[in-house]
Amino acid sequence: MAVAHLDLATDKHAAASRRLSRTDIVLYSLWSMFWLLMIAIAVQDYYRDGGRQWWQPVLWEGSSLAMATVWLVLQRRVDRRYAALIDQPLRWLLHHIKWFPLIVITFVVSVYSIRHGVYALLGQTYHHEPWSQVLIYESVKLVVFFGLWLGLIFGFDAFARSQEQRQRMLVLQKSLAEAQLAHLKAQLRPHFFFNALNTISALMQVDVPRADRLLTRLADLLRATLQWGDQEITSLREEIRMLELYAQIMQERFADRVKLAWQVDDAALAGSIPALLLQPLLENAFKHGVERCRDAVRIEIEGHRDGDRLRIAIRNTGSTLASGSPAGVGLRNCRERLSVLYGDAGNLELIQLPDGVEVLVTLPWQEHRA
Amino acid sequence: MMRVLIADDEAPARGKLQRWLSEQGDIEVVAESEDGLSAAEAIERVKPDVVFLDIQMPGLSGLEVAAQLELETAPLIVFVTAFDEHAIKAFELNAIDYLLKPYDKDRLLKTLSRIRARPADGSARAAVATARAQTQSRDRLLVPVGETLQLIDSATIEWLEASDNYVHVHTSSRSYILRRTLQDLLEQLGDEQFARIHKSAAVNIASVKAFTPLFKGDYEVQLRTGKMLRLSRRYKDQLFGRIGR
Repeated sequence: MAVAHLDLATDKHAAASRRLSRTDIVLYSLWSMFWLLMIAIAVQDYYRDGGRQWWQPVLWEGSSLAMATVWLVLQRRVDRRYAALIDQPLRWLLHHIKWFPLIVITFVVSVYSIRHGVYALLGQTYHHEPWSQVLIYESVKLVVFFGLWLGLIFGFDAFARSQEQRQRMLVLQKSLAEAQLAHLKAQLRPHFFFNALNTISALMQVDVPRADRLLTRLADLLRATLQWGDQEITSLREEIRMLELYAQIMQERFADRVKLAWQVDDAALAGSIPALLLQPLLENAFKHGVERCRDAVRIEIEGHRDGDRLRIAIRNTGSTLASGSPAGVGLRNCRERLSVLYGDAGNLELIQLPDGVEVLVTLPWQEHRA
Repeated sequence: MMRVLIADDEAPARGKLQRWLSEQGDIEVVAESEDGLSAAEAIERVKPDVVFLDIQMPGLSGLEVAAQLELETAPLIVFVTAFDEHAIKAFELNAIDYLLKPYDKDRLLKTLSRIRARPADGSARAAVATARAQTQSRDRLLVPVGETLQLIDSATIEWLEASDNYVHVHTSSRSYILRRTLQDLLEQLGDEQFARIHKSAAVNIASVKAFTPLFKGDYEVQLRTGKMLRLSRRYKDQLFGRIGR
């Protein structure tokens, strides 16, 4: 599941690596050495056969070098487009091979034009075999050459990609672990926990059913926390259920000071979402809204599917962005996870409303499969 | 009769305390507050003997409320908290009463008997002093505005003027009257920012513009606003030493 998500982020990385990557540098170095060798051999060969004009072998090889390099540069530029295919070597190969006929034609035409042109400029004539033979000879040479370099490029790209994926998995694991820890801390946060216990202790003297209800909610939340394993993606339904448990406990404590409104479309509930992504956002709404504001606070939780997007908004009255501390661990972690999982397609916005703050989370729609 | 004020932002928590305290023959709950600022207003208005002060409250925390009280006249404070490692350590250190949520009746009774047995032993002072040390009470000052209280930034204060049992707090825009001693106010605001210039006045060092010598070693202090004040020779050396003159 994680790997499927990772592909979405590839474009962003491609944009960032317009400059030469390490893979490209190594590849171009090898390329230069290869051609230096080719030229050296050609020159040696030429002198051994009695030739006396050194520029001739240099021109032959140089013209080939020029055209081959044009094709290599072009390959490197479109390489990212095929990067996602590198996990399927055959398709990757076919995608490259389909260009071969075009390469042969452009190569022969350009290289021989250059050679004829330069000879003519120097007042000489370039002699070679008849065109039909040239075409066959150059095609065979190019197949060998093309195959060799394609193999090399594949090796390099596959290695670079596996490195990149490993790196991303590490980042993902790290932010997931942080989210887990933050969640545990939040659930078992002494302040929250002891206050809830105190509310139960107070309520049970006067309203046993309510105290019982609150105690059960607290137990549910603790159980859900302990059961919550290492699953990285969950359904919005599950995520909302955790939010409700937390909100119910907070509402018992601040019954007269907070009003909650849930507007989550049924259609949106099946969507997948990183587990515990929303929990810290709701906690913030309580922390900055209810616990700091003297007046009654309204918290709204909205979720709906918008085409190929899932949007979740958490709004609270009674606080302003300026009064809040700069983005805390909760927000940072949330943003990191969205960016690792969805690239540019996932984001979190903080919006100042006339009477409060809205956190808007947008991510690509994906049906959740348990 | 012991007059008690309860301050807590959670209704159930207030209810529990109210019920158990009311069962005591010698205790009368005279007021309840649900946030810091109204707790401070209620303390000022009803002058309770004892305050049960929850630490985590909206607006102004319980510690901030206590920090703004006058040392000499402050009521006895029992801090109530669910979890505040830092503050609790300080309470332990200074033998200040506190309740940890959730607490049972025995625990509350123990606290009450400690309070009853307590002669005027300065524990109210210790609570305020500890609360001041735990909060940024130097930076903000709670002042009365009409019927209510309001926090002002202490950097906006130009000078302080004592008269009888009051202190006039002058800012560039307006003045406030506090029923506190100058000594206590300076203790709260700290001597880094404020300095006495004679027996019944102090200035914000940042708002001093110039000094002009007068007779007998006295000086005249000119504030940025143009206000002229007298610097008595008794406080002169201290002030000049502080500003490196």
